[in-house]
Amino acid sequence: MNQTIMQFLKRYDFSFIGNMAVIFIFGVLNLYSATHSQSNEGLDSLYKSQIMWFFLSVSVAFIISFLSPKTIERIAYLAYAFTLFLVLLVLLMGKVGMGAQRWLVLGPIRMQPSEFMKMGLVLALARYFTRVNPEVQLGFRDLIIPGLITFIPAVMVIVQPDLGTGLLLLFIFSMMIFYKRLKWKTIGTLGALAIVSGVLMYNYGLKEYQRKRIHTFIDPYQDARGSGYNAIQSEIAIGSGQLFGKGFKNSSQASLNYLPENHTDFVFAIYNEEHGFFGSIVLIALYLIFFMRLVWLASSVQKFFDSVLVIGIMAIFFWHTFINMAMVSGLLPIVGIPLPLMSYGGSSMLTFGVGVGIATSVANSKSFFN
Amino acid sequence: MFGEEELVKIHKDRATLISYIITAAFGLVLARLWYLQVYKGDILHNYSLQNRLRKEVVWAPRGFIYSRDDQLIVDNIPRFDAILTPQFLIDHEVTIGKLAKILGMEVKSIEAILKKNSNQAKYRPIIIKKNISFDELAQIESQNADLPGISVDTFISREYKDKEIGAHLLGYISEISQSQLPKLRERDRMDYRLGDFIGQFGIEEQLDRFLRGENGHEFVEVDARGRRKRYINSDNLFQGIEEEKPVSGMNVKLTIDRDMQIAAYNALEEKVGGVIAIDIDSGEVLAMVSRPSFDPSQFSRGLTPEYWRSLVLNKENPLRDRNIQEHFSPGSTFKAITGIAAFEEGQINERTEVFCDGSFKFGSKTFHCWKKEGHGATNLVKAVRESCNVYFQKAANRMDIDDIAKYAKGFGMGARTGISLPREVAGLIPTKEWKKKRYGQDWQGGETLSCAIGQSYVLASTIQLATAYGAIANGGKIFRPYVVKDIYDHHGELVKTFTPELLSEVKMKNPKTLKFIREGLFQVVNNPKGTAFFRRGQGILMAGKTGTSQVKSASADKVYQKCENMDYNSRHHGLFVGFAPYDNPKIAAAAIVEHGCHGSSAATPVVEAVITKYMQKYHPELYLKNLDRDKEIKDEWVKSLRQQAKTTTSESNE
Repeated sequence: MNQTIMQFLKRYDFSFIGNMAVIFIFGVLNLYSATHSQSNEGLDSLYKSQIMWFFLSVSVAFIISFLSPKTIERIAYLAYAFTLFLVLLVLLMGKVGMGAQRWLVLGPIRMQPSEFMKMGLVLALARYFTRVNPEVQLGFRDLIIPGLITFIPAVMVIVQPDLGTGLLLLFIFSMMIFYKRLKWKTIGTLGALAIVSGVLMYNYGLKEYQRKRIHTFIDPYQDARGSGYNAIQSEIAIGSGQLFGKGFKNSSQASLNYLPENHTDFVFAIYNEEHGFFGSIVLIALYLIFFMRLVWLASSVQKFFDSVLVIGIMAIFFWHTFINMAMVSGLLPIVGIPLPLMSYGGSSMLTFGVGVGIATSVANSKSFFN
Repeated sequence: MFGEEELVKIHKDRATLISYIITAAFGLVLARLWYLQVYKGDILHNYSLQNRLRKEVVWAPRGFIYSRDDQLIVDNIPRFDAILTPQFLIDHEVTIGKLAKILGMEVKSIEAILKKNSNQAKYRPIIIKKNISFDELAQIESQNADLPGISVDTFISREYKDKEIGAHLLGYISEISQSQLPKLRERDRMDYRLGDFIGQFGIEEQLDRFLRGENGHEFVEVDARGRRKRYINSDNLFQGIEEEKPVSGMNVKLTIDRDMQIAAYNALEEKVGGVIAIDIDSGEVLAMVSRPSFDPSQFSRGLTPEYWRSLVLNKENPLRDRNIQEHFSPGSTFKAITGIAAFEEGQINERTEVFCDGSFKFGSKTFHCWKKEGHGATNLVKAVRESCNVYFQKAANRMDIDDIAKYAKGFGMGARTGISLPREVAGLIPTKEWKKKRYGQDWQGGETLSCAIGQSYVLASTIQLATAYGAIANGGKIFRPYVVKDIYDHHGELVKTFTPELLSEVKMKNPKTLKFIREGLFQVVNNPKGTAFFRRGQGILMAGKTGTSQVKSASADKVYQKCENMDYNSRHHGLFVGFAPYDNPKIAAAAIVEHGCHGSSAATPVVEAVITKYMQKYHPELYLKNLDRDKEIKDEWVKSLRQQAKTTTSESNE
């Protein structure tokens, strides 16, 4: 009995959960630092609920890791349909929070279904690609069905309106079809198409506040309505950290409340202010290890479904991480994408747990086969 | 054909490309961070040190509240607080010492305030003294250079013109407390901050989302002394940042009449009680006053602990609205309902006579009439006029409690009226089913007799009584009482207007029912034998009913004890409900005076004062006409008195 447990422990791949835990520790310390002085706003105990969410997410990761990838494949469409249903539900009856309908309230639980939609999309696409003739590279015609699978939820999320998450779904889709050997020619055409539709969307499809954010991005210092403020304060926070940072709990931008939303979208700015450029190298390295591990796992498994699935999961977290860091540091417009494990937020953490659980399940199945 | 493993292998080149993409992406981020933190690090670090540009909330002016005749009753006025920003204090002791002198405070108490707030960020100003005088303001401003870290904050305070009058109706605004914050955020889905002001009572609470407006923001630069300057575009980093102007809250026009409010408040004197007056053809509430009251202005100025204590420790609970938040036995005012039920059910008619010998035996129990010697032969009109218990109990005895309940509920009792004010009570109209559910016991016939005269389980509020009597006056129409007439935005554009809402209509089977009930109610006030004849006022031609609400059920030997001789807390509540003018009814009003002993002496003058003000103001021609009618009634009475005196003298002469 004992031996089987030992054997199991040897074969169980703890690397993903471990990696998650390490980044989370950085995250929760940073969250504490960013909010400790904000008892007035009622934010100073956020880190406690973040810890609670972490343990819940790790538990979810463990439970999912015991499902076999085969089971996951079987329920993939179901999961997609379910998350799609939740997104639809939020559209129909979601309550208004911050001017947007993103929350679904079930008694004491508040969910952000668009968060779970990402995982549902990845599952559905991975499942779909097992059916496509594997030998040919993907062309336009092969994109019709996966395109629909992606665009239906993306449009629903965008009209919530949550442009950031909607675009994120498209990015995840892009990375997965890229992996599934999309023809270079098609990539070129799609790229051009994206630019054209982007321009059209900007002119006709965006809400005023979304357009404002893009203006701000292009020239934060010339912003006429005051929303450039966030971008500037964020840059000041990051820059003032210099090489080594001001030290833990010493962010003046955060504690003086110059920087709004510093517990959600702008945590990375606070981190940079307190830990400087070297601190950022450490944090980025941790994320990079996580993503590289996933890519490596994807290219070393036997089953194609598992491989695409792992790339999809990697895509979710990679795009979150990259877009958040880029927007906080002024490379991209501010779109309200949280930084996984660092930003405050339960739904996002839970999605991360699910992703880590699936990755662990795939990794375990590999070692059990060998 | 490929196996699955092969499949994964042919995708390896794309996996490699993806890993390059990831690396490149984070390389880009690191390059950007290098640019900000190392290349521009010194400059930005300096900015962060001097970063005194702050985004500050500009509070939206709250909407005004007007009475129905466009008199401003809730206004905003500026007030000043002395504040201290710890970040900018240079010489702690010297500055605090000077400040203490100016404000007439002790150094110790200032230190205590600072200590209490020591865990908050140093840039956050701490309020040292609220609502400082102009003299103190002038001193602080003139010595500004010697008082680094000290400044004056301007704040818009809510001012309730009539102070305590109608405070329960208007409500108050106060700061969101730590414990309320999560609840309110959840409730309104608003990003409230601690210390935000929000309507927490009455109209201020109910219409908060209209009144509050939208806050704006401005960018202020704080100088080294902690003074705030308007931001000037001198610094290229912040060039072009602009403020957002607040949008003023909407203005609200009430159905309430200010002059009637004042009349009602004065008529209640120092008594404990409430009065409400309703337009019977619309449900518009014209006056609504409860005493003891409180000054809502105190809440928006930051409640002093002493004031709060005086409110909380007051046994009479000044924060409770006696018109909607309290119910009580309606007493004899309920007899009108019992009478209607019996008449409609065919158990009595206008000729039915009952002999009252002062009590009514039911089983082993004896029910006493309030008049020990009895009313003698009594018909409906006389029974209402003289409030004969025995008559209504005998009438009720021919019915079932559920019959009475049907009519009581039809007249709007036993359920919330749904007035748009928070925390209304429902009252209670018992039924057999209710008792079974509540106590698990069967209904007793004797209980019907108690309920018939508005005692026992029956509970009602003044707003329900006024609504019910309004329906008696208007032929059975129950309108939902409402207090807000119109809402205007700050440009004066009409945003929302409220119209009468007919809740239900009691269809009378017998056209004579209301006629004789009204006749009885008229005689209560206008017949010398009526219970309220001596308090009837002038020029209003009121009809109505007195009532006493027993606080403690009296034992048999104490039934006829004089109320004034009891200790205060055992005394009955006095009630009066009425409508006016009798022949052309327009207004209904109900009053309760707690421990006032008699409806006639305690509550009738209150209703009379409110209705008189109404008639004088809105129907002066009717008022004048009715003055003449009153004179006739009085002359007749005097004549009859003379006649009586004559007969008595001639009898004694014989």
